Amino acid sequence: MLLRVKRETGGYDRATLDPADEADLIARCRADDRGAHDELYHRFRRQVAANLYRVLGDNTDLDDLAQEVFVIAFRGLEKFRGDARLSTWLYRICVNVALGRIRTRKRRPMAIGVADLDAAVFDPSLVERPEQPDRTMERRQDQARVYRALEQLAPKKRIVLYLHEIEGLDLKEIAYLVDSNPVTVRTRLFYARREFYRLIANEPIDGAAPAGRKDES
Amino acid sequence: MSRHIKPHRWADALAGRISDPERGTMQRHADGCASCARVRDRVGRASDTFPAIRDQSAPELSWDTLRARVHWSTSKERREKQGAQARRRIPVLAWAALAVTTAGGLALITGTALSPAAPVTSEVTPPIAPPVAAKAPPVAPPKALAGLINRIWRGEVLIDGVRLEDPFARRIVAGTVIATGEGRVDVQFGDASAFALGPHSTLDIRRFDAQIIELAVDGTIDIEVAPRAAGQRFVVLAGEHAIEVRGTQFRVSHEASTTTVACSHGLVAVRDRAQGSALVGAARSVQVATGAAIGDSRVVPLSVEELSTLAAATPMTLALWDLDTLATSSAPLEIAAAGKREVRVDGIELGLAPLQVRVMPGRHTVEATDAAGRYRRAGWVDVAAPSAGAKHARLDVAAEVVPGAGVSERRRQLRAGIDQAALARCTRSISKAGLTGTYLQVELSVDASGAVGFLNVIDTDLPSGPASCVREVLADVRFKTGAAANWREKLDL
Repeated sequence: MLLRVKRETGGYDRATLDPADEADLIARCRADDRGAHDELYHRFRRQVAANLYRVLGDNTDLDDLAQEVFVIAFRGLEKFRGDARLSTWLYRICVNVALGRIRTRKRRPMAIGVADLDAAVFDPSLVERPEQPDRTMERRQDQARVYRALEQLAPKKRIVLYLHEIEGLDLKEIAYLVDSNPVTVRTRLFYARREFYRLIANEPIDGAAPAGRKDES
Repeated sequence: MSRHIKPHRWADALAGRISDPERGTMQRHADGCASCARVRDRVGRASDTFPAIRDQSAPELSWDTLRARVHWSTSKERREKQGAQARRRIPVLAWAALAVTTAGGLALITGTALSPAAPVTSEVTPPIAPPVAAKAPPVAPPKALAGLINRIWRGEVLIDGVRLEDPFARRIVAGTVIATGEGRVDVQFGDASAFALGPHSTLDIRRFDAQIIELAVDGTIDIEVAPRAAGQRFVVLAGEHAIEVRGTQFRVSHEASTTTVACSHGLVAVRDRAQGSALVGAARSVQVATGAAIGDSRVVPLSVEELSTLAAATPMTLALWDLDTLATSSAPLEIAAAGKREVRVDGIELGLAPLQVRVMPGRHTVEATDAAGRYRRAGWVDVAAPSAGAKHARLDVAAEVVPGAGVSERRRQLRAGIDQAALARCTRSISKAGLTGTYLQVELSVDASGAVGFLNVIDTDLPSGPASCVREVLADVRFKTGAAANWREKLDL
């Protein structure tokens, strides 16, 4: 069984839930137990923020978006059927919130840049294998290039491409997250990949002119 | 293969999604085609970043503020839903009342009872006088009350859903909704009358005037109320329970499933919707499950620990309460400290830092507990009278220096550096008088460069002259560069 909620602690950050405890937590949340709400928040807050951050590629208004995710989650727990794990369901909300965000800023200048990536507080790859500064800078520029290309895709294409290519999810999982069917996702992914890698191929590197190549095949 | 290879095919090749022979053909083509080789490299570099992107952690957000905002949004919706349900009930009751009145009127006119089974009694309720007949003199609305925030502890406070720049300047009036994050907030609204809203709680001040104070709480609230004036009511609504008091100190905790009322002193009455009630006296508490009748719950005595918890949660009140005077003559003081350190200002214990507290202008002494829980002087701070645009006074309590190798090294340097001849001169006069076995205890701080930060005599049995002389001898000790240290030294003379 779950421990009684301690309001003042954030000790749930690293905890995992087995299905029985998860069902118990959901039941308590539905009964409007504020302690359960706190527990859910503390357990999933970092995961939610990380999901949003990775999908969007920058942390502008990240706290507003995370708030939106939790408000939708608390509001929608009544309707949660339990056909997926709670973390997956929250991921689905994150994807939808991020999608809404991408749509609203579609015509704005791109937000991603090296400065944003510098602001990332923790990168495990740097801890495990220290890099040379020039390699770190290169890697950040490559990441910025990926996000710049993503930014140019249509929102729906961008999401499926991100989930498939970067998160490594299969069509069925993506279909659940974007509330669609696998066939539609496959079609969308096909066009998204073609467009994305063409953008990557034509992106200028280190100030070089775009390649401007036309593929013939 | 004479035509160029599409970029996404390179991604497929890198991900191992195409066969080895085809990949070999693509590689051979790229070896002879500079354009395709460049595309392959670009796609490869992009693909290499995917694992790093996937492993990126979220940046640190202000989690407590975020929690408070989420709590605010969800509790606001809940309140609105409850309000809408209550409003829906009103027309139903109004129609029912109208139907009963009409039927009663018809019965009176026709002289027949509505139901033949209903007994006809001689006691007929006198008809209510028509409203037009009663020309009551206009009643002056009761005087509105207002409160001021006195203290904010360790967290965010939202007032009407907004995190204010200066919540201490805000007057808390009827209609205000206060929500807390991890911290607490103390609000004073009268002489010796205040409430403290606990962590993750929401308070809706529904009525706040000289006639009635009505607070609806979702969470925990500690209240201290001076005896009310005649005719004035003080009611706390916690879900389906109402707690009414005269003068007392008590705590109400309302969760989804239970409401707990604990009384420190005085007497409170807890009522439910069915008008059942229970009286909770001093050092007693009652816990009522939602939906259960109050009569089924037992009032139990509080343990010593629970009583001390209640006492520690007493909301802070300032003496000589006058809203306008206090608002214009007091200012907030912010105290920050690393780690869990209790603080007190001018000898008054205020709880764990960081906190903000309302104080009068002037110089205030701040103390903070050390690792052993003893209060140590943390410094003093000047607080100016409030003025527009002025920044709040703030004191950062210096981190406690943990005794370690640095202290033992500094202590050794002190012992070695004392001029024993000069020390002997200081105590010669009292030694001649036959006084031996004296001592002097000092507290001193040495920084990394070896400079003495302070050197205070904190205890001695020497007369003041020799004590000053010994202090001078200690002040002449020169320290080398090394670890910073802060310690107490007792010299037996």
